[in-house]
Amino acid sequence: MIRVSGLTKQYGGRTVVDDVSFALEPGTVTGFLGPNGAGKTTTMRVMTGLVPATSGTATVGDRLYVDLPNPGSVVGTLLDASAVHPGRTGRTHLRLLASAIGVPDSRVDEVLGLVGLTDAARRRVGGYSLGMRQRLGIAGALLADPPVLVFDEPANGLDPEGIRWMRDLLRGHAARGGTVLLSSHLLGEVEHTVDRLLVIGGGRIVADGAVAELLGADGTVVRAADPAALARALQAARFHVQHGSDGALVVAGAEPAAVGEIAATAGLALTDLRPQQRGLEDLFFQLTEAAA
Amino acid sequence: MTVATETRKAPVMTDVLTLTSPRSDLPVRRTAPSLPLLVGLEIRKSLSTRSGKALAVAATLLGPAAAVIASASSDEDLGSVTGPLSVMGLLTGYLLISLGVLSTAGEWSHRTVQTTYLLVPHRGRVLATKAVAVALIGAALAALSTALTAGVLATMVDGVSWDGAGQAVGVVVAAGAAFAVIGAGVGAALANTPGALTGLYLVLLGVMPVLSNSKPELAEDLDPANAVLHLGMGEQGTQPIVVIAGWVVVSTVAGWVLTHRRAVS
Repeated sequence: MIRVSGLTKQYGGRTVVDDVSFALEPGTVTGFLGPNGAGKTTTMRVMTGLVPATSGTATVGDRLYVDLPNPGSVVGTLLDASAVHPGRTGRTHLRLLASAIGVPDSRVDEVLGLVGLTDAARRRVGGYSLGMRQRLGIAGALLADPPVLVFDEPANGLDPEGIRWMRDLLRGHAARGGTVLLSSHLLGEVEHTVDRLLVIGGGRIVADGAVAELLGADGTVVRAADPAALARALQAARFHVQHGSDGALVVAGAEPAAVGEIAATAGLALTDLRPQQRGLEDLFFQLTEAAA
Repeated sequence: MTVATETRKAPVMTDVLTLTSPRSDLPVRRTAPSLPLLVGLEIRKSLSTRSGKALAVAATLLGPAAAVIASASSDEDLGSVTGPLSVMGLLTGYLLISLGVLSTAGEWSHRTVQTTYLLVPHRGRVLATKAVAVALIGAALAALSTALTAGVLATMVDGVSWDGAGQAVGVVVAAGAAFAVIGAGVGAALANTPGALTGLYLVLLGVMPVLSNSKPELAEDLDPANAVLHLGMGEQGTQPIVVIAGWVVVSTVAGWVLTHRRAVS
């Protein structure tokens, strides 16, 4: 269990992370979302002891990260995939990590196979593509099969196949009772991977909740051959109608069935009728604008 | 409007798509790594890069190679081997400084400190093991290099005195360790490989020789190279030892203090 309480980080007079609190439960994948510079990476670096907090704490199972006897066996971290010595081979890099963490060398070949780098294992990391370095970083984080995974922008440089693989990996990890924190600035990238969203903007948490809860919104989107007539009919039925893009009407607080019935009664032909769903982008801009 | 769709096979990366089953059988150490384990790890790190390997080879061979050239080109009577052994040992020491710098500053330059401190968050512990590791590498390479230099002198130079050779070898081995630790300390303090190397060589090879011409007394108190030569050529006394120890202590403390204050970004 990861608990972050009142975490604040200031650089000079600039507050990069502002009173951030959250807890991560075993068995869940939490998406840490925000634009570049929102404070995601700094929060993750403070959580893993790389950057001292100005105030507040981050604990892993009630201990500070730096007080864990063998942190690599508890938290698998992927922060900066390019932070690897370019002169070492992928296998040598992982063997050094394996020694430090205390897992057998045979595990190195296992994780290399797992991330699909077996053929590149004897090549120097300097010649790896960004995607390969990312997979090498993931391999390093998985060495001890740790209960907690903290991944900063893991999808960077991965191809669509790789992103799907990572989604399965993280979902599988949570299904086995693991705890996953995964950051991204590309909202669509994590939508189908995470159970829960932590949205950060300007250093503050602006939303924290289940994906369905944050994205679900009651309302109906409807398109008609004659939108003006439909709008009149709906307003006559005391529904609040907003004009969306491309002639779509957004009817707040209405079930699609009720809207369909009004259209049928008025004899209007519909071309589209569906429940309103907020996209992550919409949600995000709405939340961060509110916070700004 | 019809949209032409092209059927394209997704990039094949079948091995990427396999997920391992949960590993309850994976043996993972739950305790902190022991100091000997970390020292061994740091030695492997230093010698697992091309620059590290190249430096190790150069540090081993520079002294003997210079001894071959000097012996072949000079007819002067050497008198004692302690002089050439000390000078060649000093050359080795200069190269071992780079090895020390790479072990600490190199990690910051390549940002591998991130992984290092993620796995061993206690920075003092990491620095201590790095100091021990480079000291061991430095002593071992200095010993090997001096043995080769001694072999060159024994085969190529006639009628030379071997009195005091034992002390010279001991001094050179200790200096190898000390210079590597000095490099590691300065590297940790500056966290920048080119900066640390330029700064150190500028001081040792630029400032110190100028100083020994203009203010010889001050140079005696500051120059670790002079100290090595004095000790290697049989001088007794504590002052040269104090000079070298001073360099080791000051650079190590500076590295320790600055490393603890630095955020890993």
